[in-house]
Amino acid sequence: MKADIDCTGLKCPEPVLRTRAMLDTGPGPFTVLIDNDTARDNVRRFAQTAGCEVAVDETDGGFLVSIIPGASVKTASVSCPEARAGSVMLIASDEIGTGEHELGKTLMKMFLYTASESDSPPSTLIFMNSGVRLVTENEETAAHVKKLEEAGTEVLVCGTCLDYYGLKEILKAGAVSNMYDIQSAMVGATLLVSL
Amino acid sequence: MGPGDLERMLSRLPEEKAPELLSSLHTGEDAGVYLFADDLALVQTIDFFPPIVDDPYTFGQIAAANALSDIYAMNARPLTAMNVAAFPCDMDPVIPQEILLGGYDKVHEAGALVVGGHTIEDDEPKYGLSVLGSVKVSEMTTLRGAAPGDVLILTKAIGTGIMTTAAKAKLVSLAMDEVIASMCELNSGASAVISARGVHAMTDVTGFGLAGHLYEMARASGVAAELWAKEVPLFTEALVMVAQGMAARSSAGECIADRKVEVDTGGVDELLVQCMFDPQTSGGLLAAVPPEKADEILEALRSGPAPRASIVGTVTEADVPKVTIKHSRKG
Repeated sequence: MKADIDCTGLKCPEPVLRTRAMLDTGPGPFTVLIDNDTARDNVRRFAQTAGCEVAVDETDGGFLVSIIPGASVKTASVSCPEARAGSVMLIASDEIGTGEHELGKTLMKMFLYTASESDSPPSTLIFMNSGVRLVTENEETAAHVKKLEEAGTEVLVCGTCLDYYGLKEILKAGAVSNMYDIQSAMVGATLLVSL
Repeated sequence: MGPGDLERMLSRLPEEKAPELLSSLHTGEDAGVYLFADDLALVQTIDFFPPIVDDPYTFGQIAAANALSDIYAMNARPLTAMNVAAFPCDMDPVIPQEILLGGYDKVHEAGALVVGGHTIEDDEPKYGLSVLGSVKVSEMTTLRGAAPGDVLILTKAIGTGIMTTAAKAKLVSLAMDEVIASMCELNSGASAVISARGVHAMTDVTGFGLAGHLYEMARASGVAAELWAKEVPLFTEALVMVAQGMAARSSAGECIADRKVEVDTGGVDELLVQCMFDPQTSGGLLAAVPPEKADEILEALRSGPAPRASIVGTVTEADVPKVTIKHSRKG
């Protein structure tokens, strides 16, 4: 059986890492040969999460996983370099700058409103630490972010931070994300703005 | 190895029978129990595995907490432990020293002694312990005894298999702190809290995952059980990591194919089902407790040794032992 990636004899997480590396090159449809159930399910779940179409066929002693990379990728957990070309904004606080808190919070609200009305919105927004309040508790700012998201801005919200503040249940905009994706978004950015 | 692999491997071993032997290889108990005085039994157990974290001292602690866990699942007290180890001969000698020291410190925290061990040479390091404990037979907890109506309590969060796989892939780092702390935590406190207040059946959650071990309990007790997936405490990012393809090898496929575990048609998320089978290292205790004691036990666990303890399901009547995974208590 010929496949684009041969993962026979490889233990997890290696098959997923090879599939990820392949996806990162922005390929056309490709196949992965796998010899155990765990790797089959892992590669399938990873590719589905990455917005791909996935089909699994049984072969002699294994599985052939066919992956068709998706055109529109809506999930947070995708390493897609193109999606992040552009400005990435890191919002690690619920206010802008240091000084009077009331002013800082107002500035943040004005900034997000302005960004949501802008002709050239950021390609990615990352919310961390108390910044996650802006997409949960604060309904006004969450609405601005939601508008950005609907217009195509990728919104990553730090899962650890949501858990810490106990806000995961009331997330109003963006997708729960992890440090790996946040890190790759920042490293892959053409322009990184930290607020 | 999955439950099926293990069954096949043991299938040709004759069953040990002796009046003093209170356990059986074939009932899914991890520990051997041998009566040696009127109401006193020896409990013997062993576990070892390759490193699952980078830091050798931490690995030693986890391996020891994991080996001691079988003792606590039976409400026994650990007495002595023997190291079982394999190390490559060209390894920096500091690494085995650190691993053994981690194990030693954890065994001492448990109030037991390290009295010896055996080491062989192997390319892949492995470490664990054989632990000897004792228990009053009248106070011993086993997989048997769960009764319809019992409430199922789990004392630690789930997801060590997923998270260690994700750590190997370098997808998580900070989130591992919580997982490592949980794996290092002895089940002694939780066992004492639960046993003192009355419990029908108890086990520790390890390689078969929560659903797999719950099935073992149902089978040994001749009952069925409901597992409420949404109520099960998960480590931060565990669910996200399953979606990222970081599940560890589990008994999910086998248990579902054999209809030992049924997934409720109400639409339980496939990723969450995978978590229910995630193989645990040094996992928490799973206890079937009488319903009237459940709230008191839960409160004592949460305010004491097991802050993430949760009610995760219930025991039901059944002709055939099985586990049904439901989305939540309501179905």
